[in-house]
Amino acid sequence: MLLTLLLSGQVIAHQPVMDMAPRWDDGYGFQTRVEHFNSVTTTWVEGVYTWDKSVRATFKLPYRDGAWGDLILGLPLKKYKNEPNRTSNWSFTPSVQIPTASDRSKWDLGLSISYSAENQAAYQLFDLYIWEDRVGFDMNIGIADRRGRGQGFFWLWDVSALTTDSEGDRIQTGPVVVYFKESVMLRAEYKALVYERDSQWSRGFFSLGIGVVF
Amino acid sequence: MIIKGLALFIALISTSAMAQDYVIKVNGIVCDFCTLGVTKKVTKLPFIDRSKYDKGVKVEIESQKVTIAVKDGMALDKDALFAAIESGGYNPVEIWQLTDDGKPIANKP
Repeated sequence: MLLTLLLSGQVIAHQPVMDMAPRWDDGYGFQTRVEHFNSVTTTWVEGVYTWDKSVRATFKLPYRDGAWGDLILGLPLKKYKNEPNRTSNWSFTPSVQIPTASDRSKWDLGLSISYSAENQAAYQLFDLYIWEDRVGFDMNIGIADRRGRGQGFFWLWDVSALTTDSEGDRIQTGPVVVYFKESVMLRAEYKALVYERDSQWSRGFFSLGIGVVF
Repeated sequence: MIIKGLALFIALISTSAMAQDYVIKVNGIVCDFCTLGVTKKVTKLPFIDRSKYDKGVKVEIESQKVTIAVKDGMALDKDALFAAIESGGYNPVEIWQLTDDGKPIANKP
């Protein structure tokens, strides 16, 4: 249970395909991510559907140790602001964790409030999320490195803070690199533990993912 | 006289059949990855000439402009175009028709 909670806290902050796409009506996308943390590898299968840019639905399903975990459904509600040379949005995301796993399964409710903004040169995301037994904050900030012909990179820095009722608190930070080409996005990130309290976990976190949108 | 008349007729025909390009100023369109939706929606419009640009659409992130090509003999439907861009996630602001050498000539009413 402890491990499940800690691993969940790593990923609940982000919506599929880096919170960016699809922002068009009737858009959809899929993403898979492999995470390695404290000698445990978890593969996440995630998807998103966008009715219009202000209403989306997402799912996330973890797979580890040969079994599927609990399904997480989210309903990101977004308020966009498109300005000259800038776009931003506030996002309010209620989520539910459904006990679909055969072992250590449970219902849970979550809520995320996030803000992201970008221009031609920079990207930033701030996300505060709350579940029954944990509160977390995640921040991505960095530069956009466009290479033309629909491809480029985002070079970001991530800071993640998590406090839980029973498993201690921690802060992790590290680099994130995102490569995109047309409808495909690759994301790799590493986070080192820089602070912990009452936690037995002290290793780094590594994640590698690929997403595609239609 | 006959030759001059024929030349004038051909010139008129070729002018009326000339492809039309338009450029649209679009607020918020600052990310290549996120502009897929605009291309996807605009390309589907029946009056778009998919033989030009990238399936009839060119997006310029630096200037936040979208250039489109309209088929010969077809009229631009500005309302449908603006609705398609909004459906793609962004806000169109202004539109200009382009001359043959790519210069804006007037706002489309």
